[in-house]
Amino acid sequence: MSTNFNDSTTVQTWLNGVHEQSGVSPEADVKRVQVLEEFCTRIGKRPDEIIDDCLRDVDGGKKIRVKGRRFYADKISEFEQQAEGTSGERRQKANYVRSFLIHNGVLIQTSPLF
Amino acid sequence: MEFKEVVGRRRSIRYFLPWKPVPREKVQIILEAARLASRAGNADFARAIVVERDTIAKADLQALTLPVNAGMIEMAPVHIYWWGDLQAFTRDMPSRATEQVNMGVLNISHGWTHKFVKEVAYPQVVQVFSSDPVLNAKVTGCESGLAISQALLAAVDEGLGTMLCTYPEEPARKVFGVPDHWTALWVQFVGYPAEGWEAGGQRPRPPLGSLFHEGRYGSPFRGSEEVVAQLRAQNMLQDPAPLPWRKEEVRAVSRMLGLPEE
Repeated sequence: MSTNFNDSTTVQTWLNGVHEQSGVSPEADVKRVQVLEEFCTRIGKRPDEIIDDCLRDVDGGKKIRVKGRRFYADKISEFEQQAEGTSGERRQKANYVRSFLIHNGVLIQTSPLF
Repeated sequence: MEFKEVVGRRRSIRYFLPWKPVPREKVQIILEAARLASRAGNADFARAIVVERDTIAKADLQALTLPVNAGMIEMAPVHIYWWGDLQAFTRDMPSRATEQVNMGVLNISHGWTHKFVKEVAYPQVVQVFSSDPVLNAKVTGCESGLAISQALLAAVDEGLGTMLCTYPEEPARKVFGVPDHWTALWVQFVGYPAEGWEAGGQRPRPPLGSLFHEGRYGSPFRGSEEVVAQLRAQNMLQDPAPLPWRKEEVRAVSRMLGLPEE
């Protein structure tokens, strides 16, 4: 998948949200975006497509597409299981992808790692 | 803990230590506090199903999970699924009112007699509540809420973290096998907090006078600064959210629990 991820509207929304809400330095953005790119390549979808699959426009705002969110929640869990690294590292990667959805308005939670 | 401090310390805790079990004795204390709450007609409005996360079937836990409760449902070792009994008033009122006349709770000084209960009060209650489901739901919700509120405060008094969240009603009916006349209210998650008890600070509330009125609507209740100072000294009024370290705390706790931290 060849794309300049940083040009994607949803990626920009994500990174701006991370900086603003979590007070995180942009220095870590490179790794964050790399992980998202790895996920997108694995499932064959672009970032904006993922968010379109999870949200739809309604009068006055947006509504979650339940099937879409469930689909990506499962895909993220698969990604976590199949990624390389320790359980903590794999969880961190999956959480980057969850963070992408969350900052684009898709509420998604996960169980604790313990 | 003094009552005012319990009220002041209560927060909706969203981070629990998943590995630390809640002693059964503390769960009983929570339920006893709920059982003793004020309730109209001394009727049994508030009902509950207590679940230990580690003993409920995985498929059942999955059925009870919603996107907004998914994190807490897996973190909190104990869940109390609160329900409201929509038949409580019409079922319980006559016998309980009769008991209360016998116990000197409802007295002639206030117009209560057995005759009044049997021939006037009860038929009216049945008629009104049976024919007005909106009123019945309103009263059931309110009266159950009184019990739930005491359950929350009891958990805080026991040094536990707790919060209320929503749960899916129809799947819960199937999982728990509750009667049709129970209506789903909130699930109370209970556990030892993984975040500090301040949970980032006391949540903001509008000024007293904008919520509560004196004499008639539009005339704000005027509080005094002396009372505010007293309540601060007694820890009922506390430092407001966000506390300065909250973002760092959230990130550290999220990282500890493997949750998205940013």
